[in-house]
Amino acid sequence: MRLELRGITKRFGTLTANDHIDLTVEPGQIHCVLGENGAGKSTLMNVVFGLLHPDDGEILIDGVPQRFANSGDAVRRGIGMVHQHFMLVPVFTVAENVVLGFEPTSRLGRLDRARARQEIRHTSQQFNLEVDPDAIVENLPVGLQQRVEILKALNHDAELLILDEPTAVLTPQEIDALMAIMRSLAASGKSILFISHKLKEVRAISDVVTVIRQGRVVDQVPPTTGESTLASLMVGRDVTLTVSKEAAAPGAPVLELDDVVVRDDRGLAAVDHVSLRVHAGEILALAGVQGNGQTELVEAIVGMRPVESGRITLGGQDVTGATPRSVLDSGLGHIPEDRHRYGLVLSLSVADNLVLNAPRRAPFAHRGTRNLAAVRGNAESLVSRFDIRTTSVQAPLSSLSGGNQQKVIVARELSRPLQVLVASQPTRGLDVGSIEYVHRQIVEQRNEGLAVLIVSSELDEVMALGDRIAVMHAGQITGVVDPSTSRERIGLLMAGATGDGHE
Amino acid sequence: MSTVSRRRTRGIGVFMALLGLVTALGFGLASGSAARSSLTFNPVDLSASAPLHLGTLTLPTAIANLVLGLAMAALGVELLVRVPRRGVMARFGAVALLFFLALLLWAVRTTGPAPINFVNVTAVLVGASALTMVLIFGSLSGVLCERAGVVNIAIEGQFIGGAFIGSMVASTTHDFFFAAVAGGAVGGLLGLVLAFLSLRYLSDQIIVGVVLVTLLSGLSSYLNLQVLTPFPQYNTGNLAPNLPIPLLTKIPVLGPVLFDQSGFFYLMIVLVAAVSYGLFQTRWGLRVRAVGEHPQAAATVGIKVIGVRYANVILGGVVAGLGGVAFMATQGQFQPGYTSGLGYIALAALIFGRWRPSGAVVASIVFGLSLYLSYNLQTFQVPVSTEVLGMVPYLITIAVVSGLIGRVRPPAADGVPYQRD
Amino acid sequence: MSESRRRWWHRLTTRSPLLVTLDALILGFVVGALVIITTTASVLDAWRAMFSSWAAFAHACQLTADVVGAAYRAMFTGAVVNPRIFWHAVTTGQGWTLALTPLSETLTYAAPLIIASIGVGIAFQTGIFNIGANGQAILGGVAGAYMGSLVHLPTVVHLPLTLAAGIAGGVIVGLVPGLLKAYTGAHEVIVTLMLNYVVAALLIFTLLSTVLQQPGQQNDISRTLAPSAQLAPLFGAASGLRVNWGLAVAALVVVFAWWFLERSSLGFDFRVTGANPQAARASGINARAVIVLVFVISGGLAGLAGIVQLAGTTHYLDGGFLIGNAGIGFTAITVSLLGRNRPVGIVWSSLLFAGLGVGGRAMQAATGIPLDLATVIQSAVVLFVATPVLVQEIFRLRHAAAAGEVRLATSGWGS
Repeated sequence: MRLELRGITKRFGTLTANDHIDLTVEPGQIHCVLGENGAGKSTLMNVVFGLLHPDDGEILIDGVPQRFANSGDAVRRGIGMVHQHFMLVPVFTVAENVVLGFEPTSRLGRLDRARARQEIRHTSQQFNLEVDPDAIVENLPVGLQQRVEILKALNHDAELLILDEPTAVLTPQEIDALMAIMRSLAASGKSILFISHKLKEVRAISDVVTVIRQGRVVDQVPPTTGESTLASLMVGRDVTLTVSKEAAAPGAPVLELDDVVVRDDRGLAAVDHVSLRVHAGEILALAGVQGNGQTELVEAIVGMRPVESGRITLGGQDVTGATPRSVLDSGLGHIPEDRHRYGLVLSLSVADNLVLNAPRRAPFAHRGTRNLAAVRGNAESLVSRFDIRTTSVQAPLSSLSGGNQQKVIVARELSRPLQVLVASQPTRGLDVGSIEYVHRQIVEQRNEGLAVLIVSSELDEVMALGDRIAVMHAGQITGVVDPSTSRERIGLLMAGATGDGHE
Repeated sequence: MSTVSRRRTRGIGVFMALLGLVTALGFGLASGSAARSSLTFNPVDLSASAPLHLGTLTLPTAIANLVLGLAMAALGVELLVRVPRRGVMARFGAVALLFFLALLLWAVRTTGPAPINFVNVTAVLVGASALTMVLIFGSLSGVLCERAGVVNIAIEGQFIGGAFIGSMVASTTHDFFFAAVAGGAVGGLLGLVLAFLSLRYLSDQIIVGVVLVTLLSGLSSYLNLQVLTPFPQYNTGNLAPNLPIPLLTKIPVLGPVLFDQSGFFYLMIVLVAAVSYGLFQTRWGLRVRAVGEHPQAAATVGIKVIGVRYANVILGGVVAGLGGVAFMATQGQFQPGYTSGLGYIALAALIFGRWRPSGAVVASIVFGLSLYLSYNLQTFQVPVSTEVLGMVPYLITIAVVSGLIGRVRPPAADGVPYQRD
Repeated sequence: MSESRRRWWHRLTTRSPLLVTLDALILGFVVGALVIITTTASVLDAWRAMFSSWAAFAHACQLTADVVGAAYRAMFTGAVVNPRIFWHAVTTGQGWTLALTPLSETLTYAAPLIIASIGVGIAFQTGIFNIGANGQAILGGVAGAYMGSLVHLPTVVHLPLTLAAGIAGGVIVGLVPGLLKAYTGAHEVIVTLMLNYVVAALLIFTLLSTVLQQPGQQNDISRTLAPSAQLAPLFGAASGLRVNWGLAVAALVVVFAWWFLERSSLGFDFRVTGANPQAARASGINARAVIVLVFVISGGLAGLAGIVQLAGTTHYLDGGFLIGNAGIGFTAITVSLLGRNRPVGIVWSSLLFAGLGVGGRAMQAATGIPLDLATVIQSAVVLFVATPVLVQEIFRLRHAAAAGEVRLATSGWGS
């Protein structure tokens, strides 16, 4: 299939997410759309898949203009999509998920489960994608769930496959397997649109790379283009992926984890006997593919998830199983992974958000009554100190940009007396300027003697920030290494190979 | 099977075993060796279709209830030990029935030479079946709506609307077919309002549901005073005739309970079968469940989420409206407030029945019996407070949603608004 | 001049919460009028004859206006003031009792309604749907009845103790969903809904018990509260006006609620929890404690509403105490939604709904139109308030650029 996009434009209110995008995918081609988070990649793919209607421009398949009323139309014209968040019904079987919307039926609309199973076996064999059609999807590992998504698209006779950030949740080995699948699909004549912001993968797999920045096509380049060129195309200026910082001068251990076990929501050991030490004046970066227990580990440290066994101490004080309030009060600053969910209250004012985790601390309150003047004064000083762009400290937080919202969290956490700072994915979704800002703040705090634990799935960030790097896989620390270690080696550790550098 | 549902099954097992022990001790051993209880099985009305005559069965109360209690406990222990995948609700239903039987035996026990009091098993079951039928209509309505992801808390309002219109139409046309059509239409219309406000305007489904009940309750008592009181010919006592099925009614006990009922009862059975089959065996059901579990996933394969939800909420409204007519057809003329919260018990039966038609049927049988007994136990002049028995459905539901006797998992997108784009 | 007028027009047609509420009120009364028109035989007959002549058509219009006008006029004079009687009192100095009775009645009904609605509203602001205020109010009444009718003490001690008993009764019922939600995740809507029926059965059970039953009675009627446990009429028994010190209690509750939500640290925790429960937890707010406390406060206020109703108005309990959809607890939900869960808004909407109830009774007496019309209007108003976009479309309101939208929402069942 030959897919052609001409002048696709999509606006959300005042924001233009896609601005006259032109793009052509040839049959059998793996075409990568490269761009930062927020560059408009997902919007573009949702337009191609019929989930969004373009305000302007047209989509042509094999030269014929198309109008998709919904994604069902796109599927019927041979477009399949593997979403970043899988579009699978967790309680259904693989077979039910694959045939959904295109169910084989016998009389009276009865589901023909035997035929569904047979169809799936057929497609599985044809493309070498083994999976049990009767397995319940929620019981499958993530890699297999993704395989079900691909199978679903192929079963609907997709000729063009859109893969939206497919590697975010995979281990390096699973990524290799996925790339092999992509290559064999392309070899059998399927076209592939591959969305990513990871330079290495893009260079490894693509035939053509289209770079998107702020909703516009910046350039179309061959995959042999150098990483630094691609990166500068993506962000629009030469960026230094390294953070300038002096050597660390680590002091005594501040945050200590001994043999910690934490269970996830399903009752499985997500953190499996983890021991870590974060010293004053150093940044310990925790690397690993998302979903290997980092989230649960951080939740256990900040008191939001019970610790099954083991011990967590903060400045010598046992905080195992302590409440979030007492952990925060004993000098832990927390920049949560999902800031909209855990870090901020969008409907409250900037000022209220700046005292969110210490509303009772003097002078913000006295005997249960809040001192609104003190809250406002605090906000005004932080807004100017941290350069938070807002019309007023009383404005609702929702009126701020993403970068400024993140600054509110950083300002709030760093304005308290801290012993340790725990930051999860602190730069996710931020523009380059804000990323640099946040990185600088973190390094500054470390220089002032704070113990810092960074959790990130971005290898570049981990390697740029960390004074030491701990790698986590399947709930265990597979190694603690020096930041000068090669990417390949860290990749191996992320895949579960135990290293020699284990503490 | 997940650990959660195993734990739920075990919890129910413990509950059943304890109930069995309480029964064996409280209703059994405590009633003394001299006490006797009598059961009869003949329907009050000995018409041509009456079943075969059965004699009176007199049992020693203590031993009978000891046996019943131990049987209940055994079923509970079996759940604890084997943790079966299927039939948990059926076992729970069986234990509940045994419990009610033991309660009745204990209530009518007598030490005199000749039994004065007796339990007419058939009459109790026939009486309870009317309430159970209405509860099943209501909980099926809930299944249809909530499986598609819309909480229908307005079942009570749809009952009221169906009963009101049903009574007016039945009084004027003397034809229950038209009453059913009109009642279903009113229920469907209320479903449409709920769907319109919650799907198009994304209003909170629970708030809309609660307010719809208030609206219908106010409107019906307004109309009762303004229309039905001055024109009593619109609200004559309407009782739907029974349509006995030849031969089958001759079966003792089961005959009168299952095969000598009004058309609404048979319609209910057809609906239960149709919804069970449709939901789990057909393309339609797969799509409905997908919409209730993960609407975005359904939308990406071209299923019209909003359309499915509209259709199901309206259909659910029709079923609840029919339930209102069915209630009216067993109670006679419309009176304001006479559904007395039955719609909320239907909601409870739906939750207790884990959003499945079969589970809702078992829950409705248990709740129907406990309600019937709470209304009628005083005829046996027992020292059990009828109020306490009337609390049973509510207390069981609270226990169920709290996970005290197991956990329930609603459809993942139940009550969550869906927005395109 | 024209500039200022344009701005005035702009403000009138731009969607704001207050405007949407006012428009919803208008729509509610329109619905009420439609209900009257379609159910009054004489009006329908007049419309049936409309095709015969212009005169008949005019007559139909006239009659419709008369009937609807008479109903709403009776409602107003019954709930607020009858100008004729009021003028008579002003000119002659006589008959003040009669002139002030409508207002006194409305305030009498409004007092417990304000208290219960503020309880519901505080829960709503914390993201919790307390549908069980009625059960909580009933048990508040029952507990207050025990304290008020079985104990004998001087007023200064007895009245506060009775009110405290009412609060305690509400707290006990509120704690059930509170603890269950906090510790098992049970959905409060289902639990409170079910508890209403449990408590209603409990009420009958206690009324029939020999302890509380009125001596010499077989019915479900309780002993009368001792005078020392009653809330006295505000203007003295001689005034003939029923409005009582319950209104002062309500005023205190309003002040407390305003301070609590806008100024107190705990109230801040509540609001954070309501706006974003996960962030609340991450920022150190003890979610369980908040949930339990919400139900303590909400249930306690509902219980207080129950005892204020008992000690101020009815003075004894019977089987019909707060039962059914006329119950304070159910009306409180709609009142709170109409008042956008804020104390001051709730005061206005309580006065409105109490007025509708009182005026409805006067309307029934004067015109024969059943007072249940008040319930219909109330429900319609709240349906419209819960659907602001619909109101906006009906009145073609402009969308304000940054409207401080109050979304009324509960979470799904997801327990």
